[in-house]
Amino acid sequence: MSAWRHWLAAWWSRRLPAQTRVKLGQKHIFIVPTLAGYAFAAALLLMLMVAINYQNSLAYALTFLLASVGLLSILHTWRNLAGLQLVGLPTEACFAGENARFPIRLQATGRAYQAIGLGWSRQKMLMTDVAKHSEQQVELSLAVKRRGKHSAGRIRVETRFPLGIWVAWSQVDLAQSVLVYPKPIAAPLELAGVAAGEDEVEGLATAGRGVDDYQGLEAWQQGDSLRRVNWKVWSKGQGLWVKQFAELKGAQAQLDFSSLGGDVEYRLSVLCAQVLKLTQQETPFTLKLLEQTIGPGTGVAHQAECLTALALFAGGGHG
Amino acid sequence: MAKHKIKPSIPRNSLIWLLIAQVLVIIPLLWHVPLWIVGLWLVCAAWRIQVFRMRMQFPRAIVKVAMMVSAAFAVYLSRGSLVGLDAGVALLLTAFVLKLVELRSKRDALVLIYLGFFTVVTSYLFDDSILAAGYSLLSVTALLAALVGLQQTVLAGRPGKTITQAAAILLQAIPVALLLFLFFPRLDPLWVLPAPKDKGVTGISDHMSPGDIAELSQSSELVFRASFAGEIPAQNQLYWRALTLPYFDGRTWHMQNMTSDLLAPEWQAQGDMLEYSVIMQPSSRTWLYSLAVSQTEQKDIRLMNDFRLQHNTPIHRTYLYQAQAWPEALAEPKLSPEKYRFYLQLPRDVNPQARAWAQQLRQRHPDDESLVRAVLRHFNQEEYFYTLKPPRLGKHSVDEFLFATQTGFCEHYSSSMAFVLRAAGIPARVVTGYQGGEVNRTENYVQVRQYDAHSWVEYWRLGFGWHRVDPTFQVAPERIEQGLQEALRGESLNTGLFSPLSYRHIGWINQLRIGWDTLNYNWQKNVLGYQAERQQNWLKGLLGEISWQKIGVSLVIAIALLFAVISLWLFKPWQTRLSETQRLLRQFERLLAKRQCVRNPAEGLRAFQLRIKEDLSPQQQIALEDFVHSYEQIEYANVPVPSAQLQQQLQALRHSLAGR
Repeated sequence: MSAWRHWLAAWWSRRLPAQTRVKLGQKHIFIVPTLAGYAFAAALLLMLMVAINYQNSLAYALTFLLASVGLLSILHTWRNLAGLQLVGLPTEACFAGENARFPIRLQATGRAYQAIGLGWSRQKMLMTDVAKHSEQQVELSLAVKRRGKHSAGRIRVETRFPLGIWVAWSQVDLAQSVLVYPKPIAAPLELAGVAAGEDEVEGLATAGRGVDDYQGLEAWQQGDSLRRVNWKVWSKGQGLWVKQFAELKGAQAQLDFSSLGGDVEYRLSVLCAQVLKLTQQETPFTLKLLEQTIGPGTGVAHQAECLTALALFAGGGHG
Repeated sequence: MAKHKIKPSIPRNSLIWLLIAQVLVIIPLLWHVPLWIVGLWLVCAAWRIQVFRMRMQFPRAIVKVAMMVSAAFAVYLSRGSLVGLDAGVALLLTAFVLKLVELRSKRDALVLIYLGFFTVVTSYLFDDSILAAGYSLLSVTALLAALVGLQQTVLAGRPGKTITQAAAILLQAIPVALLLFLFFPRLDPLWVLPAPKDKGVTGISDHMSPGDIAELSQSSELVFRASFAGEIPAQNQLYWRALTLPYFDGRTWHMQNMTSDLLAPEWQAQGDMLEYSVIMQPSSRTWLYSLAVSQTEQKDIRLMNDFRLQHNTPIHRTYLYQAQAWPEALAEPKLSPEKYRFYLQLPRDVNPQARAWAQQLRQRHPDDESLVRAVLRHFNQEEYFYTLKPPRLGKHSVDEFLFATQTGFCEHYSSSMAFVLRAAGIPARVVTGYQGGEVNRTENYVQVRQYDAHSWVEYWRLGFGWHRVDPTFQVAPERIEQGLQEALRGESLNTGLFSPLSYRHIGWINQLRIGWDTLNYNWQKNVLGYQAERQQNWLKGLLGEISWQKIGVSLVIAIALLFAVISLWLFKPWQTRLSETQRLLRQFERLLAKRQCVRNPAEGLRAFQLRIKEDLSPQQQIALEDFVHSYEQIEYANVPVPSAQLQQQLQALRHSLAGR
């Protein structure tokens, strides 16, 4: 079974390799009758029996008309998928235990598309319409339990429109993945190996708020750490500025993986919670993950860097 | 964690069309099912609407079972049975109506829609006229709209759009349906099914008393249409025989089944042959209408011993048959002694005067033929009146008619003449059927209505066989030559205020009536009559030798071709389908081309921008840069810039260019 699935997946990736932008074409769309379609055929057969036994021309005519409608709806259903363009949009990171969201843009070219279903399982499809010459953005959500990089994998795109007796479907891989941070666990901080004790960190957090340390912005120069770039300002289109901090004295927060107890995932979760907390308090901190050291720094970018490192942390298997 | 399977609910568009379709489907059947079904339907519809408005709950399982059982019982009570077509349709309709109150999920709706299609088919068994067929297209479109609505998302628009889509699919399906209709082999019935119950069908019956046919003349209902291969014979030759009535009980002439009926009669074809075909309305009888002496090659029709054509089952649907007739044929030149006696049978003690007159005639005319002529002359020269409303006759009906009232309709004349001939020792019988008919010149056919009902006499002579003789002709020749309308100028036929026949003297109404009738004729002949025989003839003409293999292959090829044409039309591959972004880029290029800035085919968008920006104002340059930047972001960097933004930037560029 698994070998078969493997083969199927390989076959699909040959036919429709992972790419951000997919235009559903002839060789990507499959069409098969649905259960309702088989029932429709059975109903037609029954009607044909009536026509034959009563030799009723009108019964024949209606049976043939509906049969013809049924056949013709192959074209309609197929057309309702053909030419649809799907674009996998960048995803936003989330925490383990949350729903990862995969935004997908559906673009219609030239004709309207109705009742397009997207999803991973046939039972749970997200339905949407795309009007002519327009685009529609949908978000598929997937519950993620573990940290790391999660690929969206192959997404089933299907439509049963207009009659529901045929289903045209395809499986697209929009090369989307989402970064999943560890689930934050708020635990009392045990910052072993840090010069300052827990109290001092707390004290620093309450008294400092980082204002004293923060000196202001300075234009970015070659050699300045990118970690200190003020991204907020940059995102407003006002250029690259670097945050200047005063020399941080001994009481600097240091989050060290190896100083924590518990298994790897637990430790990462605790660190994750601390990263969030310290960033919120605007307290500069350093994150130490075995060989990797990030910081010192503060701010959203620093937080993102730390969380990414936590999400992708692969070492420390021995605990 | 227990997983609840949520059944998808029915979209609004679908529910609306489903309710409408149900009304449309039920209406034509109302005349054929017990009336309480209407009440049941109203209750169910009201219930379902209250559920929709959250005022009521769906019925529980026990309630549903109780409803099903009591409905079935009610059908049994009102139809006396649960089998048979009428009860079957009543049950089908009850199920169709009851399903409404358990209409929850998409699956229920699907069942209801399929049931609807099937109900439409059964309604054709009761009525297959053009109007019924046209009407059923409405029901089918509404059902299809409900099916389309079932697939739509909540984003779908108004119900009107749904039915437009359904109608479009239906229209596109017509060519393929037509091919299937023409080529799909018509099979013989696989098994015998119950037929529709007769609902007071009027027409010739198997006996005739004075006044019967006059009563029939009150009806303008169509009986059959006949078309001829050649010229339509003269009106006075169109004696459509249905039955012979050989047995007289003193008042009523009866049909009598004899074992000899099944023997093929002895006859010889003579003279000219007429080839004709008849499309008859359902009569619920087995006898057909034919010109004497007719024969047919149709397997299910036989020529009976009295020269009538009979179908092996009662005619419950519009039926088409072809026959050849030899009007001058020699029919049964020899009669067995039993049959000879049989055709002389008369009850004792009735009509003594008529018997005595017959004896007198016999003495004066030893020759049979001159005796017959003398009787006819009697009707012609004495004071006889032809009327639809003859006085009532007592026990000695022939005596009273011949010697007292002398006023009657065709059955009085034929009955008394047959009586007199028998009393004079000439074998004779009454024949009932229709005489004449209205000729439709555009399509060259004769249509016969109930008021063309007629009866006449046949008498037998050794060596010459049976001869037709019509005493009514002596009294009212215009009846035979021009039809009943002319013969009864004084008395108006009771065709009804709303019958177009009442206005036949108004030219354009008559034109309309005849046109409509022509249409109906073609409908019956070419659509309803398109059964095995006609299909084979038509295919023979088209393909030469028929082999189902050949037909199957050509059908598949033809359908494939049609599909190719339809898909070309649906997909329009000659139209280039641009994405929204590309479409905006085209507009952008067209906008700049108006300013003599034409982008070369190989030129990149950036290069193009750099080349043209020198001529632009700073403000225009910014607008240009914005557009190009966004375009690049979308097309190359895959940044989620909505195309609406690109469109706004194009608009801004257009404004700034126009501003200078």
